[in-house]
Amino acid sequence: MSVPISILVSVSLGFYISSRPNIAKYVINVASIMMTIPSLALYGVMVVLFAPFKLGLGIVPAISAITIYSLLPITRNTYLALNQVKPGMIEAARGIGMSKNQILWKIKIPLSIPVIMSGIRIAIVMGVSVATYASLIAAGGLGYFIFAGIGRANLTMVLVGAVLISALGIGINYFLLKVEDWITPRGLKVKR
Amino acid sequence: MIELTNVTKKFGNKTAVNNFSLHIEKGSLTMFIGPSGCGKTTTLRMINRLTPFDNGNIIVNGTPINDIDPVKLRRNIGYVIQEIGLFPHLTVFENIAIVPRLLKWDQKKIVHRVEEIIELVTLDQSFVQKYPLELSGGERQRVGLARALAAEPEILLMDEPFGAIDPINRLKLQDSFLEIQEEIKKTIVFVTHDINEAIKMGDKIAIIDKGNLIQYDDVSQILSNPANEFVENLLGQDRNIKALSLKKAKDYVLKDGFITVLDTETHETIEKKMKDKNIEIAFALDKNNHLKSRFVLEKATSNKRQKFIHNPAPWTIERQNNINETLSKMLEIGENQLPVVNRKKEFVGIIKLSNIFEEVKKKHIISEGKN
Repeated sequence: MSVPISILVSVSLGFYISSRPNIAKYVINVASIMMTIPSLALYGVMVVLFAPFKLGLGIVPAISAITIYSLLPITRNTYLALNQVKPGMIEAARGIGMSKNQILWKIKIPLSIPVIMSGIRIAIVMGVSVATYASLIAAGGLGYFIFAGIGRANLTMVLVGAVLISALGIGINYFLLKVEDWITPRGLKVKR
Repeated sequence: MIELTNVTKKFGNKTAVNNFSLHIEKGSLTMFIGPSGCGKTTTLRMINRLTPFDNGNIIVNGTPINDIDPVKLRRNIGYVIQEIGLFPHLTVFENIAIVPRLLKWDQKKIVHRVEEIIELVTLDQSFVQKYPLELSGGERQRVGLARALAAEPEILLMDEPFGAIDPINRLKLQDSFLEIQEEIKKTIVFVTHDINEAIKMGDKIAIIDKGNLIQYDDVSQILSNPANEFVENLLGQDRNIKALSLKKAKDYVLKDGFITVLDTETHETIEKKMKDKNIEIAFALDKNNHLKSRFVLEKATSNKRQKFIHNPAPWTIERQNNINETLSKMLEIGENQLPVVNRKKEFVGIIKLSNIFEEVKKKHIISEGKN
């Protein structure tokens, strides 16, 4: 739901700031501050912000909040990934006559994929737990079971919700680990 | 081939390269040497426009390099740096094929070229599907050289290519690199901080200190006429011994005084052949010309009968080894003659201690006569 938006925004943001260390500092700081806002409060802020457009409750503020949350891990990992490529490697690429674009697509990106991907994985798994609160602002989701269960003092209902959410998180994490492994270039995985 | 005229480069207030003029001849191997931070690497990087220069002019192949698109220029100049230059996510094949692909060669030609170049740098064809992390330092360096040569550039720039290699393998790499250069005859600029490497490898040496070009000349000229104290110190007290390293084993290879036989022949036949020809040494070769064993027929003396000795796996000298290394090996194993092989381990002849002394003596008489 909010994941594709967040990946799109954060990865491109990461790319943009990767070659602009001055801007990068601010972007990463702002994203870090966003993450320290309690998730419930962030939902609240979103609801208020979107209220004038009659979108105050429901899916729109929920998606915005989760997107903001996942911004940091993905942006930061993309930024770090692109900058951890050894300068010697880039020198060599320039030296043999690769253009800037070729260096980005053929060298930097393949070498950065594992790190970017693990940022995305962290963001998504975190997103799953943050999404629990979404039911509070009428966006539905598995969180409904937990809050409804608490309201009725129904332990089974709370547990069902909690187990389902954990299972979802674990399942997604496992699946993404597989994806990460699959898209990592083979040469980076070989052991000496 | 490469012409630098009054080239100057400043980093801020610091002059990294001060008014360099030098001409690098086609097909020659020029060494840039000096302490770290002296400007040797900067000069190298200016030749393929990785570092822009402030003043002066650099002409490659008749064209000022500032008139050539840097990306195009670099594709026509091989570039080798320390081993980190290989791309870990690409196989050896893809690493070598990278420049030909940039130049849009067709696939067949690339495959053929990679095969050829792997052979040239004496790696096994099975390496092409491996990844750089699976290779040893020396193997990576060979792949790096192969990549630089893949698109058949006329010029090769090498920035301390053997710097990260252990001393033993470095010597081996130097030897095989010299053999390769003998075959390909590229114009090479080679940066090093190792004076022995510079003397061993170079046709010419450019000695650089604090951004100034101190001396640029043939290696033998530099050894016999150092321009100033700095050069003298750089060369060291033992420069006469170092001068020995200018001569290679291949300069003293003898093709007579021994016979070669097939390693399939029986010892009796070999012994008979040697006696018939009155020859003391025979080398057994297989059909690929690889040295398999040595036979010695010791002369009979008053109290000793003639003895026939079979010596499997004899010591050898590579033809690119210099006379320093050759003498050192002879001292080490106590032999006054050694078989010589090339980098493919094919037998090429024999080298004799007495012959080296003869040659050195002749030289001395000639050079004394001249002075």
